[in-house]
Amino acid sequence: MKIINTSCFREKLNRMIVKRQKKSIYSDNIGYLLIAPFYIFLVLFILLPILMNFFLSFTNYDMRSMDFIGLRNYINLFDDEYFLISLKNTFVYTFFRLLLAMVLGLCVALALKDKIFGLKFYRTSFFVPHVTSMVAASMIWLWMFEPSHGIINQALGLFGIKGKLWLFDVRYAMGCIVTVSLWKVIGYNMVIYIAGLQSIPNYLYEAATIDGANALKKFRHITWPLLRPVTFFLFVTGLIECFKVFELVMILTNGGPMNATTTIVHQIYDRAFEDYYIGYGAAQAIVLLMIVATITIINFKYGNQGHELDVG
Amino acid sequence: MKNKTFKRMLAVMMLVLSIFMLFPYFLMLITSVKTMGDIQSPSFTFIPREVVFLNYIEAMSRGDWPRYFGNSIYVTVITVLASLMLNSITGYAFARLRFKGRDVLFIIALIGLMVPRQVTMLPLFIVLKNFPLVGGNSILGQGGHGFINSYAGMILPYVAGSFGVFLFRQFYLNFPRSLDDAARIDGLGRVKTFIYIYAPLSKPIFATLAALKTTQTWTEFTWPLIITSKDHMKTVQLALTMFRNETEIQWNLLMAATTVITLPLIIVFLCAQKYFIQGIVTSGIKG
Repeated sequence: MKIINTSCFREKLNRMIVKRQKKSIYSDNIGYLLIAPFYIFLVLFILLPILMNFFLSFTNYDMRSMDFIGLRNYINLFDDEYFLISLKNTFVYTFFRLLLAMVLGLCVALALKDKIFGLKFYRTSFFVPHVTSMVAASMIWLWMFEPSHGIINQALGLFGIKGKLWLFDVRYAMGCIVTVSLWKVIGYNMVIYIAGLQSIPNYLYEAATIDGANALKKFRHITWPLLRPVTFFLFVTGLIECFKVFELVMILTNGGPMNATTTIVHQIYDRAFEDYYIGYGAAQAIVLLMIVATITIINFKYGNQGHELDVG
Repeated sequence: MKNKTFKRMLAVMMLVLSIFMLFPYFLMLITSVKTMGDIQSPSFTFIPREVVFLNYIEAMSRGDWPRYFGNSIYVTVITVLASLMLNSITGYAFARLRFKGRDVLFIIALIGLMVPRQVTMLPLFIVLKNFPLVGGNSILGQGGHGFINSYAGMILPYVAGSFGVFLFRQFYLNFPRSLDDAARIDGLGRVKTFIYIYAPLSKPIFATLAALKTTQTWTEFTWPLIITSKDHMKTVQLALTMFRNETEIQWNLLMAATTVITLPLIIVFLCAQKYFIQGIVTSGIKG
């Protein structure tokens, strides 16, 4: 009798609590007001443009007239040799810039993880390019790559090597752009990797030392697996960053020589804002969006892998 | 012992690499005080044969540089302030307040984080050009030039940063609930709780986001390039490219101007390094 009574009472109490919670869950209606300004900006300047982009890509809008042309823009993309070159260039740029930035970033991070003499100076000098604008960085490197008086050819001259045309040479232009980009990004990757390295608990290394592991083995079996989430993050964000490359190209070469360095975004800019083929540019932008979306979805699907290795 | 030699070797190696990283800046500085004759002479010297500080004055008088600086500073300050206010209060609402559809609204907000600016720049331009009732536009957005060549055109698209909202939300989620309860007992409403308790406690995150946002806005090139065409609306980044477009580039002037637009941010960075690094790390590890 007594037992039934208590359970009855408990049930009643539970129901009361649930009721109260339900009531309080949706009680902060002022929340709508607080997020409203942000949301207005979001809708007007981010969400609406995305929808418009889809819409525009099916038209031949050129700032004056607009007609629906269905998938014509997308079909034309496959015949547009400039766009195909820009795709190829973007992939080449992405491959080298992504790979090298990660490898070099990790190397520098490993070297600058622990206290050595002058640590702060080294870290700062690797990172400073990150807070230099792309325009300024491009201008300095433009001067360094300058064929007749630039420092690089001057230095090569000292060793009796004939100077190259660098940014004006089809063979080297893309390499130069990758170099400038690397100079700017290594510090960023280094900072992220250092943070990742510092989150690895020291006792793992101590235990490994006791077990007689050498530095290489420690790296292979502790550092590398535990850094996997960080590496993955840098890989995904770097990949997206690479596909968006524009400013460097715009300033250093403007896509030249002979389209050797034109990239997807550079093509979008040229088509839309130089030739006013808005609809066609929008279709190119959708291709870029699809690439980035695919990367993001893959990130969501596999991004949490490696987190189960987390020890800290 | 072996460890110590290794560390010393490492330090030397890193010193050499650091010098490599800083070398472009060094070259920028020495070029900025050289004469054109010195630059074009066949034999290269590190030390300028003649130090000409006048280059800076000459570079700054190519175009209306005080105006460009004013533009850049104005756009940066307003963007940073507006986005800090907007992002913090929105992040607070998403983290702490309970209202219907909150999580769905938050996920939609994250789209802004995933879609690159480069994809939307084209329609964004059209939106701003045809914005109703501004810049001589009719209610249908026709006839005028909208937000083109205006500060608003440069600032508005950058105010709603989904990343900032995300950052603030993450930060506020870690605040103890008892803080809200205490505030409620003391009779504070939701907004006042934010103003008097949450905002003062989140100075580090404000500083972090301010550092990120300042770097972003000050160094932005693509968007001002698209939205402005008039000389008097140019930002310093755009103005710098004017030197590039001349038939014969005056390297000393170009480098002087580059120094002038690069140094402010580097100085700010050196003073508030902690927040810059923090911003990078939070965006990396938690993002």
